[in-house]
Amino acid sequence: METFQYAIRKLIGGIPLVLGVTFISFLLMVYFGPDKTYELLGKNPTEEQIAEIRHELGYDKPFLVRYGDYLKQMVTLDFGSSDSTGEPVSKILARTVPISLALITPGFILGNVLGIILALIAAYHRSGFIDKFIMGFAVVGMSISFLIVVIAFQIIFSSSYGLNAFPVRGWNASSFIEYLRYITVPTLSTVFVALGYNTRFYRAVLVEEMTRDHVRTAKAFGTRPGKLLYKNILKNSLIPIITRIMFSIPLVIVSGSLIIESYFGIPGIGKVTFDAITTGDQPVLKAVVGLTAVLFVLTLLLTDILYRVVDPRVSLK
Amino acid sequence: MRKLAWSLVVIVAVAVAGCAQEQKSNGYDPSLKVYRHAMDQAPSSIDPVQASNVYANHVVLNAYDTLYAFKYLARPYEVKPNLAVDFPEISEDLLTYRIKIKEGVHFIDDPAFPGGVGREVVAEDFVYSIKRHFDPKMRGQGAWLWQGRIVDLDEWKARGADYDDPVEGLRAADRYTIEIRLNKPYPQLTFTLTMGYAALVPREAVEKYGLEMSSRPVGSGPFKVVSYDTSKIVFRKNEKFRQEPVDIWYEGYNPETQGFSGVEAIQGRSPPFLDILEIDFIAESAARWNSFTKDNEVQYTGVPNEQVDNILLSKHPVTLKPEYAEKYFMYAGVEAGFVFQAFNLDFPEFGYNEDPERARRNKLLRCAVIKGFDWAKRNESFYSDIGVVFPGIIPPAVPEYDPDLPRWSVERDVDEARQLLAEGGWNADNLPELVYGTTSSVTSRQFFEQFRGWMKKIGYPSEKVKIKQFATFGDISKAWKNSTLPFVAKGWGLDFPDAENTLQLFYGPNGSPGSNDANYRNPEYDRLYEETSVMLPSPERTALYQTMNKMVIDDCVAITGLSRTRIMLWHKDVIAIPDREIVGGFFLKYVDVDRTGKADAGGSGT
Repeated sequence: METFQYAIRKLIGGIPLVLGVTFISFLLMVYFGPDKTYELLGKNPTEEQIAEIRHELGYDKPFLVRYGDYLKQMVTLDFGSSDSTGEPVSKILARTVPISLALITPGFILGNVLGIILALIAAYHRSGFIDKFIMGFAVVGMSISFLIVVIAFQIIFSSSYGLNAFPVRGWNASSFIEYLRYITVPTLSTVFVALGYNTRFYRAVLVEEMTRDHVRTAKAFGTRPGKLLYKNILKNSLIPIITRIMFSIPLVIVSGSLIIESYFGIPGIGKVTFDAITTGDQPVLKAVVGLTAVLFVLTLLLTDILYRVVDPRVSLK
Repeated sequence: MRKLAWSLVVIVAVAVAGCAQEQKSNGYDPSLKVYRHAMDQAPSSIDPVQASNVYANHVVLNAYDTLYAFKYLARPYEVKPNLAVDFPEISEDLLTYRIKIKEGVHFIDDPAFPGGVGREVVAEDFVYSIKRHFDPKMRGQGAWLWQGRIVDLDEWKARGADYDDPVEGLRAADRYTIEIRLNKPYPQLTFTLTMGYAALVPREAVEKYGLEMSSRPVGSGPFKVVSYDTSKIVFRKNEKFRQEPVDIWYEGYNPETQGFSGVEAIQGRSPPFLDILEIDFIAESAARWNSFTKDNEVQYTGVPNEQVDNILLSKHPVTLKPEYAEKYFMYAGVEAGFVFQAFNLDFPEFGYNEDPERARRNKLLRCAVIKGFDWAKRNESFYSDIGVVFPGIIPPAVPEYDPDLPRWSVERDVDEARQLLAEGGWNADNLPELVYGTTSSVTSRQFFEQFRGWMKKIGYPSEKVKIKQFATFGDISKAWKNSTLPFVAKGWGLDFPDAENTLQLFYGPNGSPGSNDANYRNPEYDRLYEETSVMLPSPERTALYQTMNKMVIDDCVAITGLSRTRIMLWHKDVIAIPDREIVGGFFLKYVDVDRTGKADAGGSGT
């Protein structure tokens, strides 16, 4: 009951956040974003045709009326149709979000799990050769541009210049084997880069935990390394780890990964969002921004509840 | 940890095993004939009313029917009847066109039709499809082709664009006959009927799907769309497509230049020959190249600039290195379009000025900038030195092109440029600020820096040559249309092979927000444009076109131009002569795939 009340309070408290995010982003879209009118014009337009398109796009309505329409769309979850493709935004999201999720989830999970494992090993061997080796690898992963990693992995694993073992591009999730074929190289690319950042972050968190009195005491009592790392260090470091993981989720779900999707020809939400930004496709942008804001509020709530689960000392009041 | 490692090994092994199977099937049922084409951009809409670019036309022309089409192999381009039975019957006064369409042609089956069965295509469908461009709700982009040309069509729009309201000059004379009445002769009308804009759309589908037509074609073309997203579009053969055996000789086949491709194999057979046509939209040139060279993914690619030196043995003529010639067919051709820069003459600092003396000096300034521009270097730096530099605004792709035109305007001469500035009394202190508008990309920035370097050489201070970058094409287009940029750098793709299509870029009444971004207003030019706009092709019309071309050159309106040479590569099991010019994509219905593995005539064409 306490959790439920807390959730309701938190959700109500999230409304101003959603309003603030949507208002600022809509303001930016309207006054600083690309003007779709000029994308939709023919080659030799007249003033009259420009005015007609602006009217069709609703650009001639007052700002507050348009923002009011946006809020109504948020409540009804009906964002209309894309200004570019004419496809209902809800259909676009339903088609692309699952693909982005299927694309990014393996890399997201592997990147975090492996990051924690490597960070535990590095932290345990702090300042030793293993630590330096793992951290060196992490720095390499962080230093190389994601774009370069994607191109290099595509050449190494997929192209005729390399192993030629996986598709260069495309998407097929009709069977588990097909899914694996198409997901492997994008996942390896994601993990390679994410691992560096994750390992470094988690190691810092774990090293700090290792200096605590209870860890020294456990060591003095002769606790086995595995048990020490898992029970005394990892479990007590879960708050920052959960924070990092949880706050990545909304971006994973809604924003996708533009670079991965573009280079591997995967029709996910990342490419759709990028196209919407560059062409000023406001119905799509409004949906992505609005849903991201809502997901952040839900994530905040879930994160707080998880804090409580992993550390009962945390109060939800 | 050990379990995790084993899991990874198993996953990789399974995936690699899957790949081995895929190598053979190309991801599709091996019994199907599949061709995977690649393009560097995805169309944002595939509704004919929004078929404004070559990407959209690649889809629209294969999903829908047009009355006319370009012959598959004829170069220069020639028009032929497609859905029309024959060429239009044109009245003596050139004002009335009667076009008979083929009987028994059906739209694809779709839930939009009663019982889900595609109905017969009739003349009324054409009438409806053209009207759509004049209905503001459709967000059409092709109205400029017929605006002011067809009797009562503009008035129909003014009356509220009610589709049940007849248009006097656009009607179905009977079930299979279209009648078009013009306000004045429009010799390019037949060309416009080859374009995706003029494709026939069933009213039932538009009424059912509304704006969703942008991603859900319902046509009568050779293929029907199975799926479409930002990464690719997949077509299946339209089994109901009419049987019309190909006569490659009628299509303009030239054995000398096209014999290498094996297209003789389609002689006497009815297209489409493919079961599956897939077009992959791959913006990243590295990914496109990797996919193409992989051998079991895309089978066609335009050659990215960064690969040109790698694959070519020679540039003049364009020939492939043996290791590539052994694996791929190649075709190199000059684009139907060109790139150019123009001064916006609405800016009194460079263009028209109430003070005649200042106007004279402005012209000398423009001429100096033109003389300081190094087209040869631009070609070498950005177009692999295989582009065609030409003076004026009539590019090599149209029959009215004059290869003997004096080349003063495209040959750099720093001394002469400096002399022109001096003659106009220009010096580093009084030269106006030149703002170079461009989209924000690395290449655009490089264009600008190269330009600024050349200007510095003629005495234009670097700090006075400034760049203004725009995040998107829409943004820069807004600046052009609102006439807020003094200097316009752009490219133009021909809509049809007639110089009228580029000459209209400098026609006074087409000034901003129209296509005349230079806002060039020369009464004599405008008079000649109007005179030629009603003339049928003839030596007289060509002479007048060339006079207009010379006016643009003499008035130093634009730094122009260069037509890029496009190099296309395709796998040797593909029987085709690809082409992406003019409307683009019309060749796809003739593509065949040789699955015997015998297709290896070797060679290439230009």
